[in-house]
Amino acid sequence: MDIRENRAQKINVTIDGKVCEATTDDTILRIARKNGVYIPTMCYLSKVEPIASCRMCVVEVEGVEGAILSCQARATDGAVITTKSSNLHKQRQNIMKLYNVNHPLECGVCDKSGECDLQNKTLEFGVNTQSFTAKDMSRPVENWGFVSYDPALCIMCEKCVRVANEITGNEALQISTGGYKSSIVNVKKDFNDASLGESAAVCPVGALVSTDFKYTSNSWELDKIPATCAHCSSGCSLYYEVKNDKIYRVTNDFEFRSLCGAGRFGFDFANENTSKDNEAFHKAITAFREADTITFSSHITNEEALILQKLKEKYNYRLVCDEAYGYQQFLKAFGSVSGESLYGANLESLSNSKGIIVLGGRINDDNPMVKYHITMASKRNRARVAYMHPIEDSNISNIVTQFIKYEVGSEEGVAALLANALLQDKELPQGLRDFLNDLDIGNISAESNIGEEELAALVQSLDKKEGFTLVIGSDLYNHPRAVQIAKLIGAIQKYSSFDVLLVPPFTNALGVALICTLDEKVGNYTVGYNAVGDFELSCLGEGDLDMPALNQQEGTFTTIDKRVVPTNVASSYNGYVLNDIANALDLKSIYTIDYTSKLPVKAGFKAMAFDELPFGFDIAGVEHRGYLLVSKPIKAIEIFEEIEEIPAYDGAIIYRCNLNGQFGMLSNRTKALKQDEIYLKGSVQFAIVSKISDGDEVEYIVDGIKYKRIFKLDSSLKGTIALHQNYDMGLSSTLVSSYRFSHLTLEQ
Amino acid sequence: MHEEIIHTNNTSKEKQNYTMLELGSTPAYGWPAFKQVVKRSLSRELFVGLWLTIKEMGKTLFLGGKHTTQYPFEKLPISPRYRAIHNMLRLLESGHYRCIGCGLCEKICISNCIAMETRYDENQRKEVSEYTINFGRCIYCGYCAEVCPELAIVHGGRYETASEQRASFSLFDDMLTPIDVLKQQQEFAGFGSVSPNADAAIKKTPLAY
Ligand code: SF4
Ligand code: SF4
Ligand code: SF4
Ligand code: SF4
Ligand code: FES
Repeated sequence: MDIRENRAQKINVTIDGKVCEATTDDTILRIARKNGVYIPTMCYLSKVEPIASCRMCVVEVEGVEGAILSCQARATDGAVITTKSSNLHKQRQNIMKLYNVNHPLECGVCDKSGECDLQNKTLEFGVNTQSFTAKDMSRPVENWGFVSYDPALCIMCEKCVRVANEITGNEALQISTGGYKSSIVNVKKDFNDASLGESAAVCPVGALVSTDFKYTSNSWELDKIPATCAHCSSGCSLYYEVKNDKIYRVTNDFEFRSLCGAGRFGFDFANENTSKDNEAFHKAITAFREADTITFSSHITNEEALILQKLKEKYNYRLVCDEAYGYQQFLKAFGSVSGESLYGANLESLSNSKGIIVLGGRINDDNPMVKYHITMASKRNRARVAYMHPIEDSNISNIVTQFIKYEVGSEEGVAALLANALLQDKELPQGLRDFLNDLDIGNISAESNIGEEELAALVQSLDKKEGFTLVIGSDLYNHPRAVQIAKLIGAIQKYSSFDVLLVPPFTNALGVALICTLDEKVGNYTVGYNAVGDFELSCLGEGDLDMPALNQQEGTFTTIDKRVVPTNVASSYNGYVLNDIANALDLKSIYTIDYTSKLPVKAGFKAMAFDELPFGFDIAGVEHRGYLLVSKPIKAIEIFEEIEEIPAYDGAIIYRCNLNGQFGMLSNRTKALKQDEIYLKGSVQFAIVSKISDGDEVEYIVDGIKYKRIFKLDSSLKGTIALHQNYDMGLSSTLVSSYRFSHLTLEQ
Repeated sequence: MHEEIIHTNNTSKEKQNYTMLELGSTPAYGWPAFKQVVKRSLSRELFVGLWLTIKEMGKTLFLGGKHTTQYPFEKLPISPRYRAIHNMLRLLESGHYRCIGCGLCEKICISNCIAMETRYDENQRKEVSEYTINFGRCIYCGYCAEVCPELAIVHGGRYETASEQRASFSLFDDMLTPIDVLKQQQEFAGFGSVSPNADAAIKKTPLAY
């Protein structure tokens, strides 16, 4: 997993008389923590590189002059370390005295009170008088949109800056130094960035806080409900903080993990004011008896997916899930070559990589957590990041080392070129070798518009490095040639030094893909569960029967990390749930979570009951949440087809892609994220090709849905592809069965 | 008339002197007994005792010597340490309510009867948007008054807690000093007030001015 760890040697160090086993790459602080020895810190944050700005973590090492910063210093074999002495105590006490100089005495109103590091350490070191002084000055609070900054409270620990640079990668925060005048400045104030919520989360004092939450509740009044984020397939762990049946905010184990803006601020999507509507319920049962198809969104729990699968087995329904079908087929084809039912990489291995290729997805918008982990790899390991896509993304230009542009529709050729480049000097079975040798490289290069020298440069840049990840995005899952592409990617997983991460396109798409036997086409009469149908069960509150939203149910999700994780009820729900319907249709189970232990072991799940699933992290930062899926061996059949002629995508093209932290029907229901104006965004070139101009209202049809949008010029875009968003479409936003690029035909 | 009786079995062997009272004879039947009662009742002693009472009655009735408190029209002053329905005090200078919404009273309340909501107001202050005490549950322990860092919530002397509505006098505004009588607001001296030596005990913070 951690590549750095492999090279480290085993050593023994003594900390406060305790002999501790460690490795040479571990810092003294980490060793101490792992062994239960407490060293106070103010600026240390486990998930970023040591900041070393507070000096609270000083320790004494025998035979070494002066104080050692334990957060930064690595241990040497046989070192004898003292973490507590009267001298160290005095030093630390003085640091706390300095932190308290002119710190406003406003704990009484401060959001952080009760969970504030400054409060805690001030008490811990018994600072009850003030002996230093500095002239106070006016330092007004700054409102940056999602977060607010109060420089008077800031202790300049730099955690927020580090997170913005090293993890979220928004690079919005900088330090303005000037002794006592120092403060944090937001250099991107014009852009109200929800990912700054991450910086607020790590702030040890009340300096950087959520603007919306500010002064609304004391932290100790809120109940923490451990749950899993419902917005995207990363399934981050979080806590809904609840009082009087209202979610006040979302927090997380920020020491080790992060959340994106949607996870942090988009929490109020519950289906409220529901009741047990008997009439609607009976209609639903009738609809189920009549229906031959259940369409559904992958925004459901594993248990619900299993209920649907059982209903299928009993009543022969067709199960249609646009959000997961392509992914399921892709995963299957991928496994048929790689020989494994699951892909190899996960988020942690991604952040530890030294070389990363992203293919077929606008990763910054599709899955922020993947982007964060690429940022970590880039900032910490100086990883090479190649971004292969038809549209350049200026938001990630700070981490991408090589942008490789290819033609829309040419993904099969691109995958073949990539396989050819990455498998060049690898030992391959004859069939695959022949296939690669037979490729008409020149032709494919020409058609896909990827220069041979570009790939050569890519391969060369990875030379003498190790730890590679290939990130696959959702452009490929619904590609007309998805099966062939998946096989090529499978070959890369199996034979190259690359680990593949098949980013699931939507929340729990992986779970649905593993649990349900999906069908492609709908029949005559459909019941839609959080999806369009003749009879609609909806958590948006606008269907024929209400269903609970994902923060109103208990159950499990399957995340991008191939982990099955629990989520709990944060907001009460009084209506009917899917299990009630299933019971009425003779599947007997008291609670939905009775299905947790029945998830298919064949697909890699474990027969673990819901209440046995753990949640949280240990002191060393190891995640203990749910369990990891077991990848099952699959008999590999390596049959590749000829590369197909690349269809021409000329003229104006639109790309289905939700921007700015929007994911779909849930995110746009929330107060913090809701947007009223939704644009079709394109470049000047696109405007010329499609003969429209900035501010025009255009009408067009995608996936059978008619859209009316204002066209907006976006100077960060180039070329003839516009970005088309569908997150405001409610249940219709789940109709995503087609390839993400399509021709734009304007309705006049 | 003294008689010397020598108790021969007295171990002290000393002489004991007893005086016998002359009680006359006890009436043996109805009529003499009745006569005795009448004679004893109506002799002067009765009126000697009763005179004091009659004198006080006269004073009370005719000379304004009443001591009865005319409750509920009249109430006795109550000790500042008495703990009854709370008062919410204001700052004397600005008239703004003192409560800063810190929530310590809510937290400490032993019977969980304080409920409050706060928000960020237009003046960048923490505003107390809702504040109620459920007096059906309050046990008048005084913890809230003691913990309050602003001397905002204190106990008042209002001990009558009967009302038609449970919600009566439990809202913030009901407890708050009415702004027009701000001048009469008394600094609280009871449970949770500043100690008399507070000024002397305070530690000064150095200031760089
Ligand atoms: S940041 Fe901490 S110490 Fe400062 S006012 Fe807030 S709670 Fe108090
Ligand atoms: S805003 Fe918070 S996290 Fe950032 S430097 Fe100040 S105290 Fe540290
Ligand atoms: S007096 Fe005691 S019980 Fe009553 S509100 Fe105050 S703390 Fe609560
Ligand atoms: S303790 Fe005092 S200042 Fe704090 S909320 Fe209660 S009444 Fe207000
Ligand atoms: S924790 Fe080591 S310097 Fe702050």
